[in-house]
Amino acid sequence: MSAATATLPTRIRPQAGRFTRIWRRRSTAAVLMCLPLILLLLLLVVYPAAYAIYLAMLNKRMTAFVGMGNFVFLLKRATFHLVIFQSCLFAVSAVIAKASIGFTLAHLMHVIPPNRQRLLRGLLLIPWVVPLALSTLGWWWLFDPSYSAFNWILDGIGVPQVAWLGNTGWARFSMILVNTWYGSPFFMIMYLAALKSVPHELFEAAAIDGASAWQKLRFVTLPMMRNIISITVLFSLIVTFADFTIVRILTAGGPQDTTHIFATYAFEVGIQSGDIPLGAAVSLFMLPILAVASFFILRGVMRRNREMAAG
Amino acid sequence: MKPRRLTSLSRQRRWALRGSYAALAVFVVLFLVPPFHMFVTSLKTSAEISGQAANPWLVQHPTLRNYIELLANEHYRGFFLNSIKITVVVVAVSMAISILAAFSLARMRFWGSGVLAAGVFLTYLVPDSLLFIPFFQIVGKLGLINNTWGMLIVYPTLAVPFCTWIMIGYFSSIPKELDEAALIDGASWLQILFKIFIPVAMPGIIAAAIFAFTVSWGQFIYPLAYLYSADQMVLTVGIISELIRADVFEWGKIMAGSLMAAAPPVIIYAFLMDYYVSGLTAGATKG
Amino acid sequence: MTLTRRTALRTAAAAAALPLVHIRSAGAAGKLTLGLWDHWVPAGNGAMKKIIDAWAEKNKVEVGIDFITSVGNKNLLTIAAEAQSKTGHDVEAFPAWEILNNQQNLEPVDDVVEGLIKQYGAVNPVNEYLSKVGGHWMAVPSSSGTQYKPSCARISVFKNAGADVQAWFPARAEHSALADQWTWDKLLELAPQAQKAGLPFALGLGQTTDSVDFVGALFRSFGAQMVNEKGEVSVKSDTVRQALEYMAKLTKFLPPDVFSYDDASNNRALISGKAGMIFNPPSAWAVAKRDNPSVAADCWTFPTPAGPKGRFVPYLPYFWGIWSFSKNKSAAKDLLTHLAQREQVEALSTAVSGYDIPPFLAMADLKVWEQVEPPLGTVFNYPIRPFHNATPSIAALPAPPDIAVQIYNRATMTTMVAKMTQGGQSMEQVLAWAQDELEGFMR
Repeated sequence: MSAATATLPTRIRPQAGRFTRIWRRRSTAAVLMCLPLILLLLLLVVYPAAYAIYLAMLNKRMTAFVGMGNFVFLLKRATFHLVIFQSCLFAVSAVIAKASIGFTLAHLMHVIPPNRQRLLRGLLLIPWVVPLALSTLGWWWLFDPSYSAFNWILDGIGVPQVAWLGNTGWARFSMILVNTWYGSPFFMIMYLAALKSVPHELFEAAAIDGASAWQKLRFVTLPMMRNIISITVLFSLIVTFADFTIVRILTAGGPQDTTHIFATYAFEVGIQSGDIPLGAAVSLFMLPILAVASFFILRGVMRRNREMAAG
Repeated sequence: MKPRRLTSLSRQRRWALRGSYAALAVFVVLFLVPPFHMFVTSLKTSAEISGQAANPWLVQHPTLRNYIELLANEHYRGFFLNSIKITVVVVAVSMAISILAAFSLARMRFWGSGVLAAGVFLTYLVPDSLLFIPFFQIVGKLGLINNTWGMLIVYPTLAVPFCTWIMIGYFSSIPKELDEAALIDGASWLQILFKIFIPVAMPGIIAAAIFAFTVSWGQFIYPLAYLYSADQMVLTVGIISELIRADVFEWGKIMAGSLMAAAPPVIIYAFLMDYYVSGLTAGATKG
Repeated sequence: MTLTRRTALRTAAAAAALPLVHIRSAGAAGKLTLGLWDHWVPAGNGAMKKIIDAWAEKNKVEVGIDFITSVGNKNLLTIAAEAQSKTGHDVEAFPAWEILNNQQNLEPVDDVVEGLIKQYGAVNPVNEYLSKVGGHWMAVPSSSGTQYKPSCARISVFKNAGADVQAWFPARAEHSALADQWTWDKLLELAPQAQKAGLPFALGLGQTTDSVDFVGALFRSFGAQMVNEKGEVSVKSDTVRQALEYMAKLTKFLPPDVFSYDDASNNRALISGKAGMIFNPPSAWAVAKRDNPSVAADCWTFPTPAGPKGRFVPYLPYFWGIWSFSKNKSAAKDLLTHLAQREQVEALSTAVSGYDIPPFLAMADLKVWEQVEPPLGTVFNYPIRPFHNATPSIAALPAPPDIAVQIYNRATMTTMVAKMTQGGQSMEQVLAWAQDELEGFMR
């Protein structure tokens, strides 16, 4: 760049110089490089989100502004209380299950020499790699009342058949199961990545000091991994809360609305029953819940980052 | 004293290794139950599936007809091409946006950059089930409803935040001395990015690109909402609309189609797995 | 008070939106795009395309057709997309309730429908309920995709339980005295025997149309109204209690997973040879014919059982609507008029083995229903025929459509049944829940 400036005719040099100076000023260049991201966020996230908030304040036919009316209305509905409860139940139990299984898998995998992990890692990642809508169809087929291959096994061992999606308890279990199956590999891979970044000497030192496996986990691994655990859990919590595909395909909210979560209920209210503003209001309820969770998780991450930087 | 302790350590290790293999094998079996059942079903004729004469986990009369018929089906091939086309472009665009932004946020700082770096992750707080209604208008105004390229507008919102976050982490892990030296030598920021950061950060870039690939290959709501004619659909929605006719499900073909749709990501992961893990190792842990 | 004012307002708005009288003689020209329902019988799309192409050729109109599936509610998403962005097809196929949901964005088609009524006589009254808003037809009732959901039973299962369905409803145009035996009480009497034989009645109590339609028809034949025609919640009534009590008794003899049934579950139960009867159009039978022929040859389709207040057969129509943003409304109207003619309706219905039900009652005598087999005449009684003494119905009728659409789509009735039987709640708890839910629909 400086070489190019030097060869420019003197006439336009001051201008070019100013441009170069501005460009070379860190902040301008930085903003320019961020511009695509900023535009993407503004045009395709912030603006639509704002529009959705506006939409959520209209009446059913979108002809009048009703302010907080839709939100107040929803909060008074028993069915919506159920939806809030179920969304939390679904997301929290699925994330806990995914995190624990992913953590276990990563630890087991870490014991194995890296060059022999490849096949196992590949096989274990398959649930995460198959497009979710299609693998959920596969699950649905396993749960189908008339054709369930699970029930065939139960029949074989003389256990009564299970109405996988027909009974509230089992239906909730099934959707958490499918989400856990789908999401655990992602946790595994993130944790495995984190485990690899823990300096090996730390483990060696702990081993020589005679630390038990539990002590190694408690005092070496967990503190080193806390940030990645937090971030992965947060990401997964957000995505699980917003899940649509699994519940929509498996139960579409039934039986008796006892498996509806925010996104599927929003779809039923907004698209199926033709009340788009109310549907948008349902979806918007996810925001405050997740924002609170994010606040606490991210605050922890930042505090640890600062401690690390200071230490 | 010392030697004995070492042998016990190594014996312990050997047992731990065996135990890990055994436990992981159990998990592999559990994880692969649904794909296995999908595979078995994909080898059956509709008549065998409806007949339910035998063990659903086995095939009586295996046939590749479902696969052959799908591959001969012009629509199915079109879904595949559309999926590839849009995914490749979305990955490229998402990575370009993420790399530029991550570099700037990790290294250059400007007013508000801290907030942006933290906030980028929070865009996931706005779920796709909420965004797809406003997107009707945006995509509609651009005349891209029922156009595969319309997905280019909406998919990056899903991929870019995570990719940017991974890349910020990766770039932060690169020693500061490297770019400071380059700056003193008179290199421009773009030169530093392209000559130093991108080559060094390749594993991170691959990890992020694989994530973007997975997300856009498997997306469901957006194509379901915006694409309706067979020549524009992608695999996820194409399989569901082509192979399910109202209340009639062609299970054998659905499973065959799904397994074939899963093949490209599986192949990509198989080849790039090592980069993926090492890319995440550096990227995610420093975030 | 509010209701009358709202109705009045709506009428005024619709009248204002009414364009200048459509001039038929202007003739069609230009371009036309259609978003039609992707028919479950593959031959359906081809037959439709052939008819439309011939019309386009003759009228020098360039026509583009997209067949949009209803799987995953994809058609609803497309309708929402086009309504929101005000771009898209000129003509769209709308499932039952979508005309009401999209009334502000639709072009009134009074001229087309009134003309057709003059030609063919009365249209199925459910169509009027669903698509006539403020006195104006907002869409043309279509045959493509329109269905009844009568009983589809295994002849042998009923015979073993001592009931001859072919004698009740023979494949002849006559009323058999035995037909009157087919009541909800009879169904309750047969259900335990079918269950004992390992082929229970697969009657869904989920939240999709098949389940809602069947329970809706049952409610109506008990005279049970959730919300009356004045828009008042009337769920806490003796008739609703009777209907719920009946369902509580019946549910004991149904498969345990009926609560999670979707529109395909009952079909699968029948096709796999595990069900004694279902309430469905002949689509289940048609697939059985392909995949499990011995089951298909043992199927007989006939109206739903009668209750104290009569025999009501669930009817779920499709409509063709013209978007108000369409650029070629006159061509669209000409095409829709053409498609609704008996000749076209018959060709379409024949192509799909009689699945499509014509919206005009006078067309209930198409040849196709006599010819389809096995067994010969199996769908003869699929359309309501005059001697059935049956009324087409949609769940939640006679509630005002704005409220009914929510009762239907939120599956309030099947949820009530499920809460009481599967959920173990008392009648009064369920009615209180429903009362609260219904009041929420009044907004």
